[in-house]
Parts: sequence; structure tokens; C-alpha cells
Amino acid sequence: MKTIETAIKVQDLTKRYPNVLAVDHVSFEVYRGEFFGFLGPNGAGKTTTINMLTGVTKANSGKASILGHDLAIEPVKAKEHIGVVPDASSVYDEMTAWDNISFGAKLHSVPKEKREDRAKELLKIVDLYDRRNDRVGTFSRGLKKRLMIATALVHMPEILFLDEPTTGLDVQSARQVRGLVKELNRKGTTVFLTTHYLEEADQCCQRIAIIARGKIVIADTPEKLKTMAQAEQVIEVSFDHAEDAADKLKRLSYVRDVVAAGDKFRLYVEDPSETLPLIFDFAKENHLRIVSINTLKPTLEDAFVKLTGLRPEILSVEKEQTMLTRG
Amino acid sequence: MSKAWVEDVKRVVYIAEKDVKIYFFKGPNLTFGLLLPVVLFLAFSIGRTVDLTFAIPGLVAIAAFFGAGAIQAIALPLERRTGTFNTLLTAPISLFTIVLGKALAGFFYGVILSLAYTVIMMPFSPLPNLPLFFVGILFSSFVFSAFGLLLSAPFRDIPEAMPPATVVRIALVFLCGVFIPIGSMPISLQAVAYSLPLTYSVGALRQAMNGPINIEMFLFNLGVQILFSVIFLVAATKVLERTIK
Repeated sequence: MKTIETAIKVQDLTKRYPNVLAVDHVSFEVYRGEFFGFLGPNGAGKTTTINMLTGVTKANSGKASILGHDLAIEPVKAKEHIGVVPDASSVYDEMTAWDNISFGAKLHSVPKEKREDRAKELLKIVDLYDRRNDRVGTFSRGLKKRLMIATALVHMPEILFLDEPTTGLDVQSARQVRGLVKELNRKGTTVFLTTHYLEEADQCCQRIAIIARGKIVIADTPEKLKTMAQAEQVIEVSFDHAEDAADKLKRLSYVRDVVAAGDKFRLYVEDPSETLPLIFDFAKENHLRIVSINTLKPTLEDAFVKLTGLRPEILSVEKEQTMLTRG
Repeated sequence: MSKAWVEDVKRVVYIAEKDVKIYFFKGPNLTFGLLLPVVLFLAFSIGRTVDLTFAIPGLVAIAAFFGAGAIQAIALPLERRTGTFNTLLTAPISLFTIVLGKALAGFFYGVILSLAYTVIMMPFSPLPNLPLFFVGILFSSFVFSAFGLLLSAPFRDIPEAMPPATVVRIALVFLCGVFIPIGSMPISLQAVAYSLPLTYSVGALRQAMNGPINIEMFLFNLGVQILFSVIFLVAATKVLERTIK
């Protein structure tokens, strides 16, 4: 029988800053070869957790180990197995892409004879080989992120930590980064990803831990999380002109909540069959034409709302703020 | 030497090499390392009769002092602000290895600047013990680099790190017998002077400069600088450790 090996083990990990309990007795395990997601809004404790697991900061209490190496006792041994792509830039603007990746290889003791080949191969994979001699300061955010991934992989780590890897990237760059990470995972790399993008967590992760206010609310597969939200059904409706319909829709019987999503409204209801006729009546009374109407399977967003009690906007609001503050 | 030690030594060199590439030609380093010593020297010597065999070792010592320290006042705080310091923290190396690598970069800068001043000043005064003078420069540059690292360790940005480091350095120049013989200072200030590393740097360089040398005193000055270097490196590591908690 094949046993499941633990890659990352976290027990009661706690981090306290002067006025904030950033991570509150968090425990979880990540298995070898798994794509594990840490989902939550900004300030939930995702980056603090990843920082504790990668040696950037120390826990106040609790234990964490990487492939059996306790981070408090054998930090150097534990860090030999990891590659890290942090949220902020970890590459040196003043150096070229080639020098950055070579420096990463040297820090991780990649043998001299392999360094050049590895750097060349990775720069080609992330499509930066032609710009290898350019200073990183001239790179866009997306290019830097790709270089950070290449640098994190230069010593072929068994575990890759990615902290919000697609935040602030354009759609195409984000897609490239996701594709690259998925491919690495397919080849056997254990991936620990923090994100506040629900779609990203849903598309990429085999298991997701939802974290809010420093505590893990739940950890399970995306499909199981969605099943937990099943009790609440969703009707998505779009009208030809109804910018202010949310409040009125909320007053319909059997409707528990209404969330505007683009040109559509999501109605959280107990029983769609009871609510659907009411929506048609509502449209007729208000002289609105229904452009589309669907009953939806619960999404990860629904699960997030149900399990955390937070509104889904908190994720997108934080996303915008993050991008603004980073200029 | 075990393999792990060899790897650690290599990493110290790699970190220093990276800092050399990035920081050696940054504007503030050139200002503080190259110009400040000469400004201080001219401020002291213009309008006075200056004994060059007394003044030149002082000038070379402060070139090492400001040169080695200038790199440290920039590199560490800047990397902590931009987040690139985390690249070092997440690598499989100890904090002490990082500190040693950074100290080595400052050491090189101090050596280069003080050698430049030595070469410029050589036509004005004989230098009978050139090899020992060079040894003095090596020890001085290392202890000042370690000192600079300790001064910048608590800070996370250059504007925070620069003012206190500059004030402390300028104050030390006037307390360590660079321009005024320690013997002519009040007793209380003499006690302060003997508790500072610059005093022993200037002491070693003056002995190398002034012909027949008292080798025991020279070695004593070097030994004290080694002691200071160890203290500063360990203290810088501890301060950094506290700030990453």
C-alpha cells in the first residue's frame, strides 16, 4: 500500500504582532506532490504563515516542519528543500536576469557545471532567455514574477511556495504563471499557493484551506467545499436595465441575499422553484426584460461566503487596494 | 574542513560578490566613502601645520571607516525595504553567514578606498613599512565594515539608517585621536577613545607609518580590532534576528 508522505506539517502555529494576532494556532498538513491553496482576504494571515514556513519570520509558538525538518531546530536543512516566490519582488533590479538566476543557484549550492545549463533552461521556460542580459529594473511586474519563479526553481526544490503569484499581473501573464505552476505540480513539485482569487484556487488546487482572521476555517478539496454550500442555492439573473434592482430583489420572499456581479444579480435562495416565478413577476411589474436567468451550482465563492461569514467582495476589494498601494 | 563549511564560505563570497556588483558605484557610497574623509581632513588641516606622518594614517583610517561603513548604511536597509533581503533569508544559509557576506563586501570597499588614499598620499611622505600598513588597512576595513553593519541592522530603509550612522561616525572621528593625539585629550575622553575601534586602527597604521615599529603594540592593535570585529558581527546578527521575529 502506498503511504501518503507529508511535505509540510504545521501544528498550532501562532504569530503575534504588537497589536494583532496575525496567525492563531493554525494546523494543517500538505502532502508530497499536492497542490495546496491558502485562500483568504488580505490580512487573513496568509503571508505571515508563508513567511513562518520559509524562514522570513519566526513563530511565537507552535511547530512547523518541511519534509521532517523542524524549522525551529534545522532551519537550514528545511530550506534546502524549498523554493519561494514571495509577494514582493525578490529579484535585484540592478542585476541582469542571468545574474539573478545565477546568484540564486549559487546560494543553493547548485554545482558549477550545472548552473549555466539550469539557468538557460529555466529562462527559456519562462520565456526570458532573450532578455537574460537586461537589467531586471527594466522588467514589467509580469516579467519579474516569471524571473522570480525561474530563480525559485533553479535548485529544483521539492516544495514551491508561492505568495499571491498572480496579483497585479495582466490576464495573459497571470495565465502563463498559473500554467507554469500547474505544469511543475504535474511533474511532482509540491505547491503551496496563497491567493485571494477564488477562481485561481478553484482551478489549480487539489485542497484548499480557507483562512480568515488568522484562523483556518476549513481545509478540504474544492468540490467538497462547494458541496458544503449546497444548502444555499443560487439564481443568477440579468435584466436589460436594472442598476438599482438589488435592494428590490432582496425584498422578494425566499431570497436570503443578493449580490451584484457585473451586469448580473446573484440571488441566494433556499428553493429556486419557489423563487423563479417571483423573479418573473418582479420583471413584469418593473417593466424589465430578463436577458438571462440560470440556477447555478454552488461555487467556491458560495462556499467561502457560507463558511467564513464574510461577503465575497472582501476578496475583490482587497485585491484592488493591494494593486493601488503597489502603484 | 567539512563540506558544509566549504559551502558556507562560498556563500559568504557569493553574497559579497553580489553586493559589490550592486552597491560599489551607488552615488551615496562614493559621497560618503570618497569625499567625506577628504572633507574632514581638509577641515582639520587647512591653516595648520600638519605632521603628515601623523595625519596620513588618520586620513587612511577614516577612508576605511567611511568607505566600509558607507556600503552597509545602504545595502542592508535597501534590501530590507525592497524585500530582496528575503531572498537571503529563504536560502539555506544561517543569518551569520549572511552577515559575514555583507561584511566582506564592505571590507572590500574600505580596502579599495583606503588604498586609493594611500597611493595618493605616498609622494608626500615615506612609508617604510608598506606591507604592515597594508595589513593595518585590511584589519581596519573589516572591523569598520562589521561596525557599519551593526549600525544599520535595526533599520528597514536608507533614510532611517543614514542619519544615525553618519552622526555616530563623525563623532567617533573626533574621539579617536585621528586629528588630535589621544594623550592631549582629557582623561575622561581618553577612556572613551580607548573603548573605540578607530583608535586601534589609527594606532596600527601610525606604527606602520612611522618607521621602526613596536611589533607587540602593532599586534595588540590588530588583536583588539579582531575582538571588536567578532563583537560587532555577533551583535549585528542578534539585532537582525530580533528584527525578523
